[in-house]
Amino acid sequence: MDPLILAGGVVVGLVVLFAIFKLMWRVAEPNEALVISGLREHSSPEGAGESMGFRIVTGKGTLVLPGIQTVRRLSLDLREAPLSIECVTHQGIPLGIQGVVIFKVGDDYVSIANAARRFLDQQQQMDARVHNVFAGHLRAIVGNMTVEEMIRDREKLTSLTRQSSGSEMEKLGLIVDSLQVQEIHDPTGYIRNLALPHAAAVAREARIAQAHADREATTAEQGADALKAEARRESMIKQAGYQAEIDKASAESQQAGPLADASARQHVVVEETKVAELEAQREEQRLQASIRKPADAKAYESVTLAKASRDARIAGAEAERQEVELHAKASAERVRLEAVAEAERVRVDAIARSESTRLIGEAEAAATAARGRAEGEAVQARGMAEAEAIKARADALAENQDAVIGQQLAEKWPAIVEAAAKPFGSVDQMIILNGAQGLSEALAAALSQGVAGLQLARNLLAGGGNGAKAEPGDRDALQAPGAAPRDRTS
Amino acid sequence: MADQQVIGKVGRVTGTIAPEQVGEVMISIRGGSEAFNAYAADTQDTISTGTRVVVIEYFPPRTVVVSPM
Repeated sequence: MDPLILAGGVVVGLVVLFAIFKLMWRVAEPNEALVISGLREHSSPEGAGESMGFRIVTGKGTLVLPGIQTVRRLSLDLREAPLSIECVTHQGIPLGIQGVVIFKVGDDYVSIANAARRFLDQQQQMDARVHNVFAGHLRAIVGNMTVEEMIRDREKLTSLTRQSSGSEMEKLGLIVDSLQVQEIHDPTGYIRNLALPHAAAVAREARIAQAHADREATTAEQGADALKAEARRESMIKQAGYQAEIDKASAESQQAGPLADASARQHVVVEETKVAELEAQREEQRLQASIRKPADAKAYESVTLAKASRDARIAGAEAERQEVELHAKASAERVRLEAVAEAERVRVDAIARSESTRLIGEAEAAATAARGRAEGEAVQARGMAEAEAIKARADALAENQDAVIGQQLAEKWPAIVEAAAKPFGSVDQMIILNGAQGLSEALAAALSQGVAGLQLARNLLAGGGNGAKAEPGDRDALQAPGAAPRDRTS
Repeated sequence: MADQQVIGKVGRVTGTIAPEQVGEVMISIRGGSEAFNAYAADTQDTISTGTRVVVIEYFPPRTVVVSPM
């Protein structure tokens, strides 16, 4: 046999074998499950114990006997069923809801078996079935929710979806991945009205914020304007200051010419003044030379002449005065001599007259002396007699003091009482306490002074021992009070 | 690929499990993660979202009983 034919035969055989194998070998894609039924497919390959009557293969290849076994593919892809229902919420508000249910066949064999039994030939109608199931569930779900929850509470929506559809979908071998509410028709305007307060609040906040911002912007603008005005003011002030300096400088520069002129003219005037002064001095000196000096010379001449004549007159007068003086002296000497002669004559006359007078006086003096001696003797005799009388009374006093003093007091008693009452006489109004007895006490106190005086005199006489010596003191003490009343009465 | 492997797995609650209300847990399984309807083992228990749970019972096809860890 030709080896080439043999080789060709082998290749053909291999190709045929590969073709047969390809016909018998089925591979499950990741998103599908193979449902194989037929010969020897009585039990679950995972040893579930009970027979499913078919075999499920996922994710791998398997050998299938064509003609004996049938292979169906069940898609595990995600599916979605659009929902469009009219329903009423928990609050009784009618709503039109457009949503979508996203679901798929479960990945476990139980789910795949359930789904295979229900949908294997109706995979295209699966969405419609699910829609019908979920239309009823969605009404129940919406009936348990309020509009606000439906809008906001996604957790509750999914939870209710699970509760109402979970077990039912398990029967179908389906998993609900999510229920999405896409659109809510709101014929009564509830949602819009629901939003209105919030929208109004937001609008209010927005207006407030805008007003705040506007105010702040205005404040900032006004502040900026004020600052600009201030800056402008300062700028203008500075400009005015600079302008003033410029004006001043220009004025000074304009004044510089006239000032220089004035200065120059001033110099000219000064120089002219000096010239005038010099001229005046020259004129003065000329006048001095031409007028004053001659005048002075003339005056000097006149003065000299006058002095000469005056000296001449003085000399004449002096001579005349000396002449008169000498003449007067001569006459005075003559008068003096005459007076001396007269005086001598008078003196001699007076001596003679005094001698005669002295003789007469001596005679009269002798007579007077004789008469004086006679009178002196008479006086002496009378003094001796009085001394005798006093001595006699002193003796009597020494023998009986009380009798003498009592007699003296009796003589002087009215005067003593008057003297004791004298202090009361100088009182305008005296209030005596204790009535008439008080008055008598006051008088008794006054009169007791007299008794005290008597006692004093007695003591003096007793202590002194010399009655003649004590008597004048006693008499003074007794008589002194009596002097004042005599003065008053006179 | 036994579905019994779900028991003992650790999942995360994605829908609050409340008494007499079915919740949802996400469990890593078959190389991916799948959502299962879930009840609490203690029927009076409330398991909030985000809590880690362990699967203690499996009701095919897609219901599990979980207990918070």
